[in-house]
Amino acid sequence: MNLLIIAQMAVSGAMMGLVYALIAYGFQLTFSTSKSINFGQGELVMVSAFFSLTLLNWGVPYWLMVPGGLLFGVVLGLAVERAGVRLALEQKSEGWILLTIIIGLLFFSAAENIWGRDDRPFPTPISSDAMRFLGVSITPLEISVAIGVFTVMGAIELFKRKTLLGKAFEAVSADRDAAELMGISATRTVMLSYGLSGMVAAMAGILVSPITTVGPTMASALILKAFSVAVVAGLDSGFGVVVVGIFLGALESLTSFYLGSGWREAPGLILLILALAVRPNGVFGKASIRKV
Amino acid sequence: MLVVENLYAGYGTSKVLTGASLEVGQGRVVALIGANGAGKTTTMRAISGMLKPDKGRVLLDGKPVQGQDASRIARLGLAHAPEGRKVFGPLSTEDNLLLGAYSRLPLFFGFRSRSAPDLEKVYDLFPLLKERRLQSAGTLSGGEQQMLAIGRALMANPKIMLLDEPSMGLAPVIVQEVFATIRRLKTSGITLLLVEQFAKSALEVADYAYVMERGRVVAEGTPAELHKDKRVLAAYLG
Ligand SMILES: Nc1ncnc2c1ncn2[C@@H]1O[C@H](COP(=O)(O)OP(=O)(O)OP(=O)(O)O)[C@@H](O)[C@H]1O
Ligand SMILES: [Mg+2]
Repeated sequence: MNLLIIAQMAVSGAMMGLVYALIAYGFQLTFSTSKSINFGQGELVMVSAFFSLTLLNWGVPYWLMVPGGLLFGVVLGLAVERAGVRLALEQKSEGWILLTIIIGLLFFSAAENIWGRDDRPFPTPISSDAMRFLGVSITPLEISVAIGVFTVMGAIELFKRKTLLGKAFEAVSADRDAAELMGISATRTVMLSYGLSGMVAAMAGILVSPITTVGPTMASALILKAFSVAVVAGLDSGFGVVVVGIFLGALESLTSFYLGSGWREAPGLILLILALAVRPNGVFGKASIRKV
Repeated sequence: MLVVENLYAGYGTSKVLTGASLEVGQGRVVALIGANGAGKTTTMRAISGMLKPDKGRVLLDGKPVQGQDASRIARLGLAHAPEGRKVFGPLSTEDNLLLGAYSRLPLFFGFRSRSAPDLEKVYDLFPLLKERRLQSAGTLSGGEQQMLAIGRALMANPKIMLLDEPSMGLAPVIVQEVFATIRRLKTSGITLLLVEQFAKSALEVADYAYVMERGRVVAEGTPAELHKDKRVLAAYLG
């Protein structure tokens, strides 16, 4: 019986963990091309979720809302790159840190003014009636989160490996100067990475909203954990974020079950501290690969 | 083909090039020699756009390109195989080669079939690279990486190639191989600006050469002429 509860908690936690992994993957995308990340990524998740909700309220069907929301995420990602990152990088300054935080705050207050402060339900055609597998219950909604996360990450990984543009993306990550010598524009590649990162954020918003509801603060907890996952997994391993994300998600739900929901945030924070103290390059990062 | 006029460039406050001029004609192999720190690499970087020149002109086919982005200049047909090779370590040998042809290939699908003839040519020149085609470039030996860097530059089908110290850090046998390759490329009609520490070997393949000291060209001529120049002979060819 006890084992069953653990399994149950782990499975539903893992689903949430996949959302952390997806957001962390968005950090990796921009970090690999530009060594910068969008500290306002949580606000992109939230604003994209609100926008997608608005599409639904306008009567746009669910299947059409998804690409619409993703496209909106791409546009936001590009806007962040243009307004907050490009100039700072050109001047080799760290200004993007502050700028992306500020842009995030702007998105936050825009969202409060446009959509209000209340949390709102996000309708979905996908059922949340539990199904049972080996005594563990799981909802189609939770399964849809897993499918969505793996679809987006898989598509981007395929793009990177199988298309020439994707290989150019990898080339800029490996050696920006040499990539330029091949005729690859590093600036455009960084734009592309921010566009993809915005899309990933929007996908996270669309996937998680039916479970958590939509509100201006919905992403603050998410983003902290995504950050923990990114730090623990390292900023260069897509596989790593999935493993760490699932692990953290499961750990969290077990902690809140056994210690009370007040302790829910603890594992993520402890993991972050441990990671920064023990392995600044990430468990799956280059440092550990080099040792092997 | 390539004309460099009175080029000034440097890194921040340190001025390295102080009026460098040179010329590479169509189908010619031109060597640029000089002591360590003379500014040979800096010249190449300023030509290819890795470094923005402060002053002076770089003409490619008569058109000024100075100050443009490196990616732009590369697309105009200048391929720079930089000092230290700079292959894309995590990517496979073949992917490195494909990226060499980046500006000529479709970005999504069909780039493999389109690049197949050029890929074959490079593999003919460097059969070893074909054996290593799926190996990640970072794990190749120094000599193999240099061949890859040359092959990658060739994949662009460039109008002119800049080759910076291909022999750096290689065993003497491999250096011989590199020069043999350069000779073969010359026979095939390549236009090449070559920077080399091994001034003697460089002058053996070159049609013309420039000698650089402290950021400017202090002597130039055909290899035969330079061999007659006592100062050059003593300093670089002794
Ligand atoms: N990135 C850099 N930042 C600052 N100074 C640099 C940089 N690169 C080169 N320099 C300086 O510029 C001068 C010329 O360097 P450059 O690399 O062009 O010489 P080189 O002729 O290619 O020498 P070598 O034969 O050793 O390759 C040197 O004094 C060097 O210290
Ligand atoms: Mg040099």
